[in-house]
Amino acid sequence: MLEVDKDRARHAVQPQHAFLVTLKVNGEEHRLNVDARTTLLDALRDRLHLTGTKKGCGLGQCGACTIIVDGRRVVSCLTLAVMNQGKEITTIEGLANGALHPVQQAFIEHDAFQCGYCTPGQIMSAVGLIQEGRTRSDDEIRENMSGNLCRCGAYTNIVDAIKDAIAHGLDPREAMTQAVEAIAQDAGREA
Amino acid sequence: MRYFQPATLDEALAIRRGNDVVPLAGATDVYPARAGRRAWGDPTHKDVLDLSRIEALRGIEDRGDHVRIGALATWTDLIRADLPPLFDGMKRAAREVGGVQVQNRGTVVGNACTASPAGDGIPNLLALDAAFEIEGPSPRLVPAEAFFTGYRATACGPHDIVAAIRIPKREGRGHFVKLGARRYLVISIAMVAAALETDAAGRIVSARIAVGACSAAAGRLPLLEAALPGAPLTDAPALVEPRHLAHLTPIDDIRASAGYRMAAALALVGDALADLSRPAARVA
Ligand SMILES: Cc1cc2nc3c(=O)[nH]c(=O)nc-3n(C[C@H](O)[C@H](O)[C@H](O)COP(=O)(O)OP(=O)(O)OC[C@H]3O[C@@H](n4cnc5c(N)ncnc54)[C@H](O)[C@@H]3O)c2cc1C
Ligand code: FES
Repeated sequence: MLEVDKDRARHAVQPQHAFLVTLKVNGEEHRLNVDARTTLLDALRDRLHLTGTKKGCGLGQCGACTIIVDGRRVVSCLTLAVMNQGKEITTIEGLANGALHPVQQAFIEHDAFQCGYCTPGQIMSAVGLIQEGRTRSDDEIRENMSGNLCRCGAYTNIVDAIKDAIAHGLDPREAMTQAVEAIAQDAGREA
Repeated sequence: MRYFQPATLDEALAIRRGNDVVPLAGATDVYPARAGRRAWGDPTHKDVLDLSRIEALRGIEDRGDHVRIGALATWTDLIRADLPPLFDGMKRAAREVGGVQVQNRGTVVGNACTASPAGDGIPNLLALDAAFEIEGPSPRLVPAEAFFTGYRATACGPHDIVAAIRIPKREGRGHFVKLGARRYLVISIAMVAAALETDAAGRIVSARIAVGACSAAAGRLPLLEAALPGAPLTDAPALVEPRHLAHLTPIDDIRASAGYRMAAALALVGDALADLSRPAARVA
C-alpha cells in the first residue's frame, strides 16, 4: 500500500485535525502539512507562495480566487486543501509558456482591467469558459462570467478580450490543452 | 475541529451515528455560513464529515421511471445531463445558482439540505414531486413536501445522510423564473417553478406549481393547481388570482418587503405560465 493510500485509509474512519496532503499544482507535486480548515486558496498563497491567485471576499462571491481543478473552474476560497488531494490544479502561474497565454495577451491588448486585482481570476475563469464553449454571444459570455466581479468596471473590455482570444486562433477545445501543455513544458524545464 | 474523510457511504453512516458532525458536499454553503458565524463570535467548531470522496454518491442516472440525482451531483452535472423537457426548470435554476465556479462544486442535494427559503432548487423539487433517499438508522424515501419541514429544517435527522434525490419521469415541461435585485449571482427575492402537462389540443392536463422565498419553506399552490386543468394553456396566465397565493407568508428583510415579495410572486406565476404557453425555448 502506498504511503498516501495508507494515510487515506486512516482518515476514512479516524478523524484528524491536520493532514499531510499532496497537491498537484501546475504539473508539480507538493507535499505539505495542513490544518483541516486550510482553504485551497490559503494553501496556494501562504504555503506554496503562489500569490497570483487573489483573495477578495473569501466567501465565494467575487471570483478573484478562481483556479481550474480537474478541468473545471472553481473558487479556491470555498474548498479545503484536503478536499483537493490528487486533483490537477492550474493557477494563473501555470498559464504562460514563455509567451503569454492568448487570454492573457488579449486582456493586455484590450485593457481589460484597471487596478488588476480581479484579473488573475477573470483570466482563469475566461480560460475555463472558452473551453466550455458557451461563448456564442456577448450575453452568453456575460452570463458565464457572472461569477467574477470587477470593481473598476472593466466588463466591456473583458468581454472584448475574450471574444478576441477566441477569434485569434484560440480554439475553444484547445484553451485547456494549451494551458496543460504549457505546464508540462514548464515542469520539463525545471526538471 | 476534527475532520472525517470516508471513502464509502457505510463508513460515513457509521461516523454520523457515533459523532456530532456536519456533512460537507460541495462546501459552497457550509463554508461561508461557518466563516460568517465565527466572524461574529460563534465559538462552535463542529466536526466535519466530508462526503466528497464517496464515489457511489456521484452522478445523475436515468432509472427508467425516474431520474436519480446522487448526493454529489453538481449543478454543472445537471446542466450537462441529457434530460427530458420536464427538467427544463431545474436546469434553468442550475444556471442561476451563483456563478459557474459555484455551479461546478455546489450540489443539488446540498442546496436542498440547506433548506434556505431562497434555495433555488427547492421549488423545482416540489413541483417535480421529488423524493429523498435518506440513509441512516431507518432508511426511507421521503417526498419533497414532507422533507422540507420549515425554516432551514428538513426531515434528514442528525444520524442521516441524503444519498440521492429521485424525480419521477412524467410527460410535460418544466420552467423556473427567479426575481433578484440583478440578473446573475443574486439571492432570490421570489421564484416560481412549474411543471405542466398539456394535451394535443393545448389544454392543461395537470399543473404543479411552487413558490420560493415567500414563506419559511417553499410551498406548492394547491388552489391554482386545481383551477388550471381543462383550461387552454394560453389562458392560464389570466387565471392566476391573489387568493391562490394567500397562504404564503412572505417576510420583510433587506432584500424586499413582504408586500413587494407577494406582488412579485403573483407576477412571476403569471410569467412562468406565459413562458410555458410559448413554443419551448429550451435553455441548457
Ligand atoms: C457566491 C454564492 C452564490 C450562491 N448563489 C445561490 C443561488 O443563487 N441560489 C441558491 O439556491 N443557492 C446559492 N448559493 C448557495 C449554495 O451554493 C447552494 O445552495 C449549493 O447548491 C449548496 O451545495 P453544496 O454541495 O455546496 O452544499 P454544502 O455547503 O456542502 O452543504 C450544505 C448543507 O447541506 C448539508 N448536506 C450536504 N449534503 C448532504 C447530504 N448528502 N446529506 C445530509 N446533509 C447534507 C450540509 O451539512 C450543509 O448543512 C450560493 C453560494 C455562493 C457561495
Ligand atoms: S475570494 Fe474567493 S470568491 Fe472572493
